[in-house]
Amino acid sequence: MTLLFQPPRPDHVPADRIVDFDFFHIPPGMTDPAEIWHDLRRSDVPRIFYTPRNGGHWVFLDYADIVEGYRNHEIFSTYQTPIPPIEPFPVMQPQGVDPPDHNVFRRLLAPMFTPTAVRGMVEELEKRAKALIGGFADKGECDFIQDFAARYPTGTFLYLFGLSEDRLGEFLDLAGTFFRSTDPAARAQNVVDIYAVLESLFREKERNPGNDIASAIVTARDADGNQHPWQDILNCGFLLFVAGLDTVTNTMAYIWRYLATTPAARRHFRDRLDDPDAFLRAIEELMRINAVSNLFRRVTHDCTFRGVALRKNDRVILPNTVANRDPTVFENPDMIDLDRKVNTHVTFGVGPHRCVGSHLAKREVMVSLAEWLRRIPDFELVPDSGETRAFGGSVMGFESLKLRWDV
Amino acid sequence: MKVHVNLSLCQGHARCEEICPEVFATDTVEGKCLILKDIVPDDLLEKARLVVRNCPEGALRLSRDKGAAAEGETA
Ligand code: SF4
Repeated sequence: MTLLFQPPRPDHVPADRIVDFDFFHIPPGMTDPAEIWHDLRRSDVPRIFYTPRNGGHWVFLDYADIVEGYRNHEIFSTYQTPIPPIEPFPVMQPQGVDPPDHNVFRRLLAPMFTPTAVRGMVEELEKRAKALIGGFADKGECDFIQDFAARYPTGTFLYLFGLSEDRLGEFLDLAGTFFRSTDPAARAQNVVDIYAVLESLFREKERNPGNDIASAIVTARDADGNQHPWQDILNCGFLLFVAGLDTVTNTMAYIWRYLATTPAARRHFRDRLDDPDAFLRAIEELMRINAVSNLFRRVTHDCTFRGVALRKNDRVILPNTVANRDPTVFENPDMIDLDRKVNTHVTFGVGPHRCVGSHLAKREVMVSLAEWLRRIPDFELVPDSGETRAFGGSVMGFESLKLRWDV
Repeated sequence: MKVHVNLSLCQGHARCEEICPEVFATDTVEGKCLILKDIVPDDLLEKARLVVRNCPEGALRLSRDKGAAAEGETA
């Protein structure tokens, strides 16, 4: 590989650990953005390497190291981690705060996203999935991203935050700019816009609290009986807005893209619509194979990790999709086995910052797929429709995915 | 066999409850593991072993235990 030292190579990084790797760059013709990671995994680059791209950062490739990156917050902090670096950056609550302080907001959010809490949302989630699918099922085609995978989690956000349905368009626009815009001015303005919406939302819920998550956050009291700092409340709202949208959208995009091209897998799920254990096991396998997030950490102090010298403020990427195919952990890791019995995937991370919304996210996928298959049992990709406009980065995915089926 | 959970490792993935709800549940505060039957009945042993292998945090453990000695303990 060619070496391009845009910033000079930091002197603590030995030359044999340098690899030229840009995780935003998907080579033309590559249809699956995760392949850039799997190419790395299959190559003989060091399992811990440094790339000078995007401000310079480390990449971990072994399951054990990635898991340690999540668990060891003494070395790997979630505070101010963007790659390439942006400073200052909103300190998202509780995601951007290290233990034990992250517990303040973690404990506040956790009860609203436990498996028990999520079971109470199922009926609403089913109703929403049915309504969306019903809107296009008779047409025999849709753009899966625009018509379903982007709308569904955004609608769920409105429901959880106690917001009226007619704000869907506004929130889709905000999310669209946040996740897809590459224009720095538009991006900066977008963050200001999102915070303005959150500001008025929380003020409104403070005056008229309802039975929703925004109200719970704004009316919560700390150990001394005071409201949490206003900025933290906004930052928590910001986290919930950005964390549960694009990740779910693109996980679904990957799964539907696979099902559209794999009749046996569609049949597998269809035959198990009334067998929740087997259905969930198959979903769990697709979660393993389609891990869209690449998480960031920042090194807290100069130290040595697995014999590699790390320096304070070095950035690290933990690619979940790579961990999930580590042959020392998963039998036949590249094989999709919808009946896989042992599956310790890290799609939602592990350790103290494990995705607090994971049970909701998983439920959104399960409900959507079940409702979809009941209404649209068979479907395929629209040939030559350019489903391949793929993007890399911290969340990988597709800009559009055109599907068709017989009506 | 007796099942143990290390709650300082458990992060609430709920794989235990999903795979073997006869033995495991999750709490409503943090979503962490609750053991419903700490002595695993023989017919659920295979499932419980599978659960231990599926916990992403390695928070669960099975140990041989004389039923009588553990009678007094509850989860
Ligand atoms: S699977 Fe493990 S981490 Fe998850 S709830 Fe059960 S014991 Fe806890």
